Amino acid sequence: MSTPTIPEQGEQKTSDAPSPRQPDGRPEQQAPPSGLAVLARSPKVLAVLVAVLVVVVSAAVGGSGVWPQGWTIDIRTPLNDLDGWLVDNREKSPIFLYFLLHISNSAESSVDAIISLFDAMGWIGVTVVGTLVGWAAGGSDLSRRALRTGGTTLGVFIACGVLNMWAPTMETLALMTVAVFAAAVLGLLLGLGAGLSDRFEKILRPVFDTMQVMPAFAYLLPLLLMFGVGVPSALIATVIYAAPPMARLTSLGLRSADPAALEASASLGASHWQRLWTARLPLARKQMMLGLNQAIMMCLSMVVLASLIGSEGLGDEIYQALGSLDVGTALTAGVAVVLIAVLLDRTTAAAGERLDATVTVGATRLMARIRMAVWGLVLALIGVFSAVGSSIGEREWPDVWTVDVTRPLQSAVDWLTETIGSGIPVLGGTVVWAKGFTVYVLNPLRSGLETTPWWALALLVGVIGWIVGTWRAALTGVICLGLIGMMGLWEKSMDTFSQVIGGLVLTMVIGIVLGILTARVERVERMLRPVLDTMQTMPQFVYLIPVIALVGLSRSAGIIAAVIYACPAVIRITAQGLRYVDPAAMEASRSLGATSRQQLLGVQLPLARKSLLVGVNQGVVLVLSMVVIAGLIGGGALGYDVVQGLSKGDLSQGLPAGIAIVCLGIMLDRITQPAGERPRD
Amino acid sequence: MSETHESAPATPVFSVRNLWKVFGPKAHRVPGDKELAGLSAAELTKRTGCTAAVRDVSFDVRKGEVFVVMGLSGSGKSTLVRCLTRLIEPTAGVLEMDGEDVRAMDKHRLRELRRHRTAMVFQNFGLLPHRTVTDNVAYGLEIQGMSKQERRAKGTEMVEKVGLEGLGDRRPVQLSGGQQQRVGLARALAVDPEVLLFDEPFSALDPLIRRDMQEEVIRLHREEGRTMIFITHDLSEALRLGDRILLMRDGEIVQLGTPEEIVANPADDYVRDFVRDVPREQVISVRRAMRPAEKADGDNGAELSPDTLVSDAIEAVARSGENLRVVDDGRTIGVIDHACLLNVVAGIDGDDDGEGDPGKDKEVAAV
Repeated sequence: MSTPTIPEQGEQKTSDAPSPRQPDGRPEQQAPPSGLAVLARSPKVLAVLVAVLVVVVSAAVGGSGVWPQGWTIDIRTPLNDLDGWLVDNREKSPIFLYFLLHISNSAESSVDAIISLFDAMGWIGVTVVGTLVGWAAGGSDLSRRALRTGGTTLGVFIACGVLNMWAPTMETLALMTVAVFAAAVLGLLLGLGAGLSDRFEKILRPVFDTMQVMPAFAYLLPLLLMFGVGVPSALIATVIYAAPPMARLTSLGLRSADPAALEASASLGASHWQRLWTARLPLARKQMMLGLNQAIMMCLSMVVLASLIGSEGLGDEIYQALGSLDVGTALTAGVAVVLIAVLLDRTTAAAGERLDATVTVGATRLMARIRMAVWGLVLALIGVFSAVGSSIGEREWPDVWTVDVTRPLQSAVDWLTETIGSGIPVLGGTVVWAKGFTVYVLNPLRSGLETTPWWALALLVGVIGWIVGTWRAALTGVICLGLIGMMGLWEKSMDTFSQVIGGLVLTMVIGIVLGILTARVERVERMLRPVLDTMQTMPQFVYLIPVIALVGLSRSAGIIAAVIYACPAVIRITAQGLRYVDPAAMEASRSLGATSRQQLLGVQLPLARKSLLVGVNQGVVLVLSMVVIAGLIGGGALGYDVVQGLSKGDLSQGLPAGIAIVCLGIMLDRITQPAGERPRD
Repeated sequence: MSETHESAPATPVFSVRNLWKVFGPKAHRVPGDKELAGLSAAELTKRTGCTAAVRDVSFDVRKGEVFVVMGLSGSGKSTLVRCLTRLIEPTAGVLEMDGEDVRAMDKHRLRELRRHRTAMVFQNFGLLPHRTVTDNVAYGLEIQGMSKQERRAKGTEMVEKVGLEGLGDRRPVQLSGGQQQRVGLARALAVDPEVLLFDEPFSALDPLIRRDMQEEVIRLHREEGRTMIFITHDLSEALRLGDRILLMRDGEIVQLGTPEEIVANPADDYVRDFVRDVPREQVISVRRAMRPAEKADGDNGAELSPDTLVSDAIEAVARSGENLRVVDDGRTIGVIDHACLLNVVAGIDGDDDGEGDPGKDKEVAAV
């Protein structure tokens, strides 16, 4: 039961039958007799075939397969009651008075403090200090790395000013400062606990696993519920969203430290504390830096998205602009967000690189002293500027130096929409294609899923979960489906599900093709790498903007955004999987005279099967998280309910939809997660 | 290095009696249980789920000697050496250092022992990559709580001592494997320990460097006379370095003796197999190779001391062209001729079954 994939692997190698994994029923007809024999010997493959057959037949015969009315539970009333109670008691209940209110107040006041600090320093002060910080993070010397990060910082600040985005940029940065600090501290503490205590790790890991598959969207509502619209909700959502990677990587770093070094430390008589301080933590530094980098990028993504629950800054600009279909403004703010993302990523990456840079002989101590001096200078400058900054220049970037790009952008976008959208002769255009995609792919898929009886679908999910993972995965998947049905959200979930499937198929096709190209053609790899790097740092929200410019508001728009969003990860995983295939096996096949096609199909892809599965898993998680955000741009279904719930503060509409999204996410994650991936304890 | 075993001082540095280390569930019941203790490794695992890495081992390490523990991988030698400072907690047995019960030590006393009295050199170096060479060497001193200046001075001194002058500000990754292990050695020496423990320190190095490092250890031992316990799976290394060698197999002692005793007088077929390819003439002395003097030999001719290696004797005999007398304290105790020397080289010197009594080595092992 625990190693379900091994017997199959053997059979795939020995028979010529098409992959028995394909759940489309074809293997049965096409397979030669030996294939039938294989099926008979392997009950699991048979089970998938039977399940698929049941699904198809029951869908064809049954007509409508919606979850039975009688089995749903009314959760609106209790949720409305809860909402009412919360509204009534927010000022009275001791939980709020003595606990939540404190959190919310300190969150608000710390963000305010940073904003007023930025204000006091004025734009000159902020730019100077920011550039200095970037330079210091790059190593505070005359090396290319230090100059490059410093230069990037300066450039980004100037660009944000010129684009007339100075004020929202400062708001976003202030929120980021507090959120990153809080997330880093929280993550560090949790990571320390998990790294040093096995029991703590055992408790935390499943929690983090689940959090990782939850779409960012799902975090917003519960916090809105507790703290209302405003900065505290946004900040806390961000911290909760961004702390896990820091904690995970800290724990990983502590656990994967060179055992010989730790033993050496023990053998010299180090006490526990000494060992932690002198060996374990320093050895985990690199992983922790990586964790910080990830936490920062996730913070940015969430800070921008949290504009839905009241965070200000660039995200809010985008949100407002999207609402009024003002693509020009949205694009401008989007550019600013991307610039900040690039800046933060490069700076933390440079700081991380420095950790393993080889140090020139003799210079170490001097450099350390210089670095200390630079950081001192930064602090001093902050003080000086906050005292006199506003008298040197204005608080905000001077208006004369701004360029209004929104209007030209808007007209460019309009032109684009007209020509590329529908003006291309014969071929149509993006809008036309998107409509075609909706009509010919999404709609049939959706109605197919809706006519499939719920029990047949549950059966299929269970069987796939059991085959790919473990029986536990299968059970989790089925339970999640059941929950969705019981909340009365079956139809909407199937709508979202159909979008996910559509997006996933596109993502996998594009991702795997590009992944193969990346792995095999050096030039493609060189061209794609910087693009993928940038794409992976960009907040989710930003992806929506160009898509609505091209295809307008529709379900297809969300799916295209999702595909673009999920592709980089899939490309990466595929390329890595192919490249790390055992070189001996590759050499053997080459020496036998295999063509490169034979190598790819016969050796590389089969051996990289595991990474391909991981790619599917990642693809599913990413596509889902984007498809629900697309509720903002016409994606409908569950995402729309959440957006409505958030904007109207309607708990009974938003929360069930949010829970359904999480259920869908967990279900999809579990049934695509290969058994070996999750450690069993 | 061969002025060894006759001059044993009163208190051994380490005294180990009936030491057991058993891994697995309820490991402590195995050593006490006569029936379980007698089982073979495979049967023990089958019956109890436990693995006995060290089984009923007893030996003494004398002051100033190089004590080599040798065995193939999985023989329990690394576990054994870690038991000595309780990096791995022994399951049962008596373990004394300078007459003091190590197993009874509390946390602080044990820490003191690790800080000041022993130091270990590891197979994978165990250096801290974020520190410079000097800071790595001074790491033990830092743990002891020595001030920064003092430990840096001492660290620099030790860096020079192991031949790494001028590399003190580098990071470990910038050094070659051999240099990294020199750092490991310097770190161990820096705390000025009573005993140096080496856990297969040179097996990750390539052969030429390994030889260099062995020379280094021999040099250090000659200069300082520090007690060393040296773990290795390499027989030639064991023979080169060891004053005495403890041969382990499946956690048990197979034989304990000088290199010469082990090569000339293997305790069983396992050891015999092990030493088969050893160039015997480089290990066996003429004391063991000589034949009794006869009248015909006379009292003239060149003399050899009984500790001369056969390989040297071959050269001397070949040069002089006649038989040589083996003289101890001015008394002729035997004669060495072509036939004796050839017997050693061919491995038919008759010691195996004639003079050598198998019980003798067992006795040593059971001390």
